[in-house]
Amino acid sequence: MGRIAFAWELGAEFGHAVACNEIARKLRGRGHQVAFIFRELHQIDFLADCAADEIFQAPVSLVEGKGLENPASLADILVGCGYDSPQHLAGILGGWIAWLRRWKPDMLVSDFSPTALLAASVLGVRRVNYGNGFGIPPRMSPLPAFRFDEPVPPERLARSDAHALASVNGALARFGVAPLPMLAQVFASDEDFLATFPELDSYGSRPRTGYWGPRYSVDQGVATRWPAGAGKRVAVYVKRNLAQMDSLIEVLAGSTHRVAAFIPELEPQRVARLRSASRIVSERPMRLGPLLPGCDVFVSHGGNVCVGTLMAGVPQLVFPSQYEQYITARRVEQLGAGLWLQPQSTAAEIRAAMERVLYDPSYALNARAYARRYPAYSPAEAQRRVMKRIEELLAEPPRHRALPRLDGAPVLPRTPS
Amino acid sequence: MARILCAWEYGADLGHVRRLVPVAEALRDLGHEVSIAFRDSAHLEAARSRGFDAYVAPLLRIPPFVNPAPANFSDVLLNIGFADLHSISGALRAWRSLLELLGTQLIVADYAPTAMVAGRLAGTRMVTIGTGFALPPPTDPLPALRPWAPLEEGVLRAHDDRLVRTIREAIGPAGAGRAPVRARDIFAADAHLLCTFPELDPFAPRDTGEYVGPQGDASSGEDLRWQGTAAHRIFAYLKPRNERFDAVVAALHALDAECIVAAPGLGHERASALSGGGVRVVSAPVNLDPLLAEASLCITHAGPGVAARALAAGVPMALLPQHLEQFLIARRIEQSGAASVVRPDTRQPDFHAWLASLLADASLREGARRVAEAHRGHSFGEATRRAAERISQVALA
Repeated sequence: MGRIAFAWELGAEFGHAVACNEIARKLRGRGHQVAFIFRELHQIDFLADCAADEIFQAPVSLVEGKGLENPASLADILVGCGYDSPQHLAGILGGWIAWLRRWKPDMLVSDFSPTALLAASVLGVRRVNYGNGFGIPPRMSPLPAFRFDEPVPPERLARSDAHALASVNGALARFGVAPLPMLAQVFASDEDFLATFPELDSYGSRPRTGYWGPRYSVDQGVATRWPAGAGKRVAVYVKRNLAQMDSLIEVLAGSTHRVAAFIPELEPQRVARLRSASRIVSERPMRLGPLLPGCDVFVSHGGNVCVGTLMAGVPQLVFPSQYEQYITARRVEQLGAGLWLQPQSTAAEIRAAMERVLYDPSYALNARAYARRYPAYSPAEAQRRVMKRIEELLAEPPRHRALPRLDGAPVLPRTPS
Repeated sequence: MARILCAWEYGADLGHVRRLVPVAEALRDLGHEVSIAFRDSAHLEAARSRGFDAYVAPLLRIPPFVNPAPANFSDVLLNIGFADLHSISGALRAWRSLLELLGTQLIVADYAPTAMVAGRLAGTRMVTIGTGFALPPPTDPLPALRPWAPLEEGVLRAHDDRLVRTIREAIGPAGAGRAPVRARDIFAADAHLLCTFPELDPFAPRDTGEYVGPQGDASSGEDLRWQGTAAHRIFAYLKPRNERFDAVVAALHALDAECIVAAPGLGHERASALSGGGVRVVSAPVNLDPLLAEASLCITHAGPGVAARALAAGVPMALLPQHLEQFLIARRIEQSGAASVVRPDTRQPDFHAWLASLLADASLREGARRVAEAHRGHSFGEATRRAAERISQVALA
């Protein structure tokens, strides 16, 4: 049986931990050893049932995003997350390498974990990308822009890409490893589990890449039923720091809708304002299976759960809190399957958007039409295929050798002698 | 030989790295297997490049609100993330995994409270190391950090209780037997090594703790020499971003003294613009000892590193502490008679008059000489080896 490490290095949403946990649980059930090495450890407490045998802190920069305005490409994000200098990156990369050599995974599952991938490539460890597309860029040089609603000068892309690549190669040199020809090679993997479909991919359709379908679960979490009554059914999955939280609560509390809301660590005063006989407020993730069939709108930030519940034909109301979610929100809007709101939107605007999605039948029709494009998809089947492919790869020798040494010496040993 | 993990979590000063990495090297020289865990990944390379496996210490979420004037050390910990049940719970799990993965037998904790709670739960031997601030005296409740400021009844106890309650809840019933009962339990260790002089220890005199003395190599900076024959020589080591920096440099220009100002990070252009007459401003670290040996006065923020060098050299100090830790150190030096302090919360004083009066103050010179005399023979280089030997002793006991 294999040792499998799930790494989550970048991106600050609960969905990363949840998605890793689902695959991890299946692998562990088949006898594999599982470790999580995550950027945010507090999320572990919110997992319905943590599947990892061991949990570690992912090496990350403490000054993420400092001096970084409006990133346009993944290279911009990397420069803001430790790829600013060879010195900084070497420390983070060294942290990953030290950990990989100690824990000795047979496979690294990277959820938006570029430096973990780089460390695995230094050591020749099998590795796969698992994510919704944003953290798995097309392997182009320079890395392409994801920003689509304003022009991005090509020289800016090239400059950021070169900056990040210089940090990568400077750091690699400190480990005696030969330079990479292009930044995109950081993301080289044995498999990309692109957990979305082309309509919602942050980088647009990628014809030569397989899509594995959204990653979300309908069978995990607290068993929850819609409250009795005749009101519309509104599911809410947002973080408590949602800019429009008080307005959203005002809209929901002032309506006749039935509500099932998961808002981790929501302050007691706000819980008191939202909760009622027809409005459930859960501290824990809710089991979506029983909720989705009658759900009239799903309210979220635009992460995995948005992309996932759309597959159940549920129209969406999206409150994007960063650019990745904004891309998804715009794609949902283009599909006609939902609307999205600006951070500064008022209660009146939120109410109007919610009413439109609830009472204009085109949103539900378009959501169902989109879901019907992928009749073979189910969240459980998508997970099963990912799990099965991981086991296939484990049974094969690693496809990538360790990166070559600068001095032509044999590659770094995978384990300490 | 033992498997030792040297952990540093909090405190932004480079002093932690400069203390812990040499101690780790000395421990390795003694035959131990040593790993490093730092919270700030920006410093990992400093350890890795010396041949250590360097890990990131488990991180707590940074709280949205903090008390700008913490009442005691429990309050300090609540401020840096210990009020967050889910963070503590996750971090303790991650520490446990790391300690088991490395087979750690002893933790050297340099302001590493989460590591210490994890080590306590795992039954790992522990030694704390630091300059005193991060090791409050083990009273119950933990003592006030501003003993001069009035506090409401029960405030200290309330912070202690909240801290211990959160940690115990995060640990859960399975670990309850080893969980801390009092806030002071969080800091319990097999030995406490104070890499400072008692005159610089914010909590001296104290019953627990061994003074191994300040350590380290201060010769890595630029080598400057006094040039003139002025009556007074003033050495200043200041942060260029400090709000009082410009006023101090202006005051120096008006004094009849040769002045050297080290302001790392200032930038060469500004440094040359501020230089002239008897004042030389440099934007790089400088080799301290040759300058201090012949200085009449040292102006500094009372960071423990520079203050220890000035103290050992018998140089009177003019202190401009920027935050609580530096203020507590400054107050101690003032009590010993070797310094004068401008409190961080006082309005801009007349620096020229203040500095001129200090240059003329014979009792201050005598105070500084007396303290230096008490520590004659202290070797900064030897302190690292002594600390490592003491740690080794605990590891092998």
